[in-house]
Amino acid sequence: MLIHNFLENSAARYPDKVAVIHDDQRVSYQQLNTWSDIFAAHLQAAGISKGERIALLLENSADYIIAYYAILKAGAVAAPINPNLKPDGLQYLLDDLEPSAIVASFKTERLLKATKLSHLGLKAIIIRTPKQKWAGTPHKALTFEEILTTHSTTPKKPIDLTPDNLASIIYTSGSTGEPKGVMLSHKNIVCNTNSICLSLGITALDIQMVVLPFFYVMGKSLLNTHIAAGGTVVLNNRFMYPASIVNQMIDEGVTSFSGVPSTFAYLLNRSPLASCRDRLTTLRYCSQAGGHMAKSLKLALRKALPSHTKIFIMYGATEAAARLTCLGSEDFESKMGSIGRPIPDVTLRILDALNQEAPDGAEGMLVASGPNIMMGYWKAPQDTARALTLSGYHTGDLGYCDEDGFFFVTGRKDGLLKVSGHRINPTEIEDFMMATDLLIEVAVIGIPDELKGNKLIALVVSKNESLNQQTLLEICAAGLPKHKLPAEIMTIAALPKNPNGKIDRMACLRTATNKTRS
Amino acid sequence: MSDPKDKIKTFIIENFLFGNADGLNDDTSFLEEGIIDSTGVLELITYLEEEFSIKVEDEELIPENLDSINKVNAFLNKKAA
Repeated sequence: MLIHNFLENSAARYPDKVAVIHDDQRVSYQQLNTWSDIFAAHLQAAGISKGERIALLLENSADYIIAYYAILKAGAVAAPINPNLKPDGLQYLLDDLEPSAIVASFKTERLLKATKLSHLGLKAIIIRTPKQKWAGTPHKALTFEEILTTHSTTPKKPIDLTPDNLASIIYTSGSTGEPKGVMLSHKNIVCNTNSICLSLGITALDIQMVVLPFFYVMGKSLLNTHIAAGGTVVLNNRFMYPASIVNQMIDEGVTSFSGVPSTFAYLLNRSPLASCRDRLTTLRYCSQAGGHMAKSLKLALRKALPSHTKIFIMYGATEAAARLTCLGSEDFESKMGSIGRPIPDVTLRILDALNQEAPDGAEGMLVASGPNIMMGYWKAPQDTARALTLSGYHTGDLGYCDEDGFFFVTGRKDGLLKVSGHRINPTEIEDFMMATDLLIEVAVIGIPDELKGNKLIALVVSKNESLNQQTLLEICAAGLPKHKLPAEIMTIAALPKNPNGKIDRMACLRTATNKTRS
Repeated sequence: MSDPKDKIKTFIIENFLFGNADGLNDDTSFLEEGIIDSTGVLELITYLEEEFSIKVEDEELIPENLDSINKVNAFLNKKAA
């Protein structure tokens, strides 16, 4: 079984059913499958062969879905990339990935034009509704419109693919600060898709509201699970206007909504969710993953949602393709704080420092195994060897298992912070700020924040007493993605240190917390 | 500079476009052009509430009210009426 078989099987069973809703566009399974076949044929005609990487650099849309399954049908490897990156960030990923083609949209054209592409040897750039001029450049640029309205006379060539073949590379933040490409096989994604469908009871009757981006493995799992089940995905890229999300959930009879902690914080604090409670009659469940959500938020969500709406708390990792555990709605209150129990086909263990299984209640490293665990990191054998051992995938999370078999996460081993669903290494931000030459030293720490998970505070020791904090923030804004920007800069005389002279991050956290309170 | 439209435009340019106003018209869609994301909308609302002494209700957080300089200006006029 291969990932694109989900689409093909559902197209055979429900050809006329609406698979995708995006604004005014409604696409049936048959259309989705046919268009992705045509797109795949074009990719092959452009010279794309098995195993070549294709970067997906566009927002959630029916065209994204067509391109995603087309890439898989052509035997190539789908590499979704955050379209909100700055040119430096994109350059790094493209140089690492060495794609043979890039699929983009008019929103990412300027980003592409600001990136060096000539050394990549691209066979094609395909753009959705382009606004820039590509004629005269060395790149053969096609449009979605050209591809999908020109029915190829050359049918898609059969490809000899197996479930163990590489299907997707998804970049995630690494402990060194540089993103790492997580390599997922067809088997990884197919198995995890089936496990999630079983855990959440996803069927062809389900209509999923998708506000999470497809470049994020959780967002992609929403797509694959509902295509596998023959359900419908409703794409809404206007989460910055949450009232419109709630209205559409009601209008389309949405049965499920999924988010990360900041999604729910925003929905609870800035949308009419609670006042629309009685109108959300079809909402079967909400699922939350992507990091720890504060108890106060969980309780507020329970209160705001209709009593018939279940809440599933899930835990996972990109390396797990994407989920590992689920806390069922029936345990929501009694096991508050737990990430639940492993989903089908996943084994999760708590290992101590000697790699032995820890007894119930004892803290150790969460280590996972199963057919969903990644193949490894792209071009990073040492990182792969550190993460994947004979014991399984070392998640980097510390936690314990209680006597009932429920798992709890207590912290991160490597100090990465989750901000608005993004895994962030503070060192990367610190390095950037030091490069301004305005500072003697800096520590970026995260203060727990209900909206974002963590609020980034930069504690700085400036070279000059008259440091203009606004100037420093503007420099950061010009060079860092939004989710890596410090929310606040605090100037202090010196950073707290350990006896061995290293920056004491816990003391920094205390300092920042005290300053925030005062 | 007391015209609300000018104030809104300046806020957008300074906070989201790093001072570069190329391509920003009064009817440019913030959403379509990727000028503002979720966090940015919160910042815009905070600015509007503080600068113009209004309260943006949850149900008013829709693109029709906030997705361009013209729309924000019309929204402000409606709130003032």
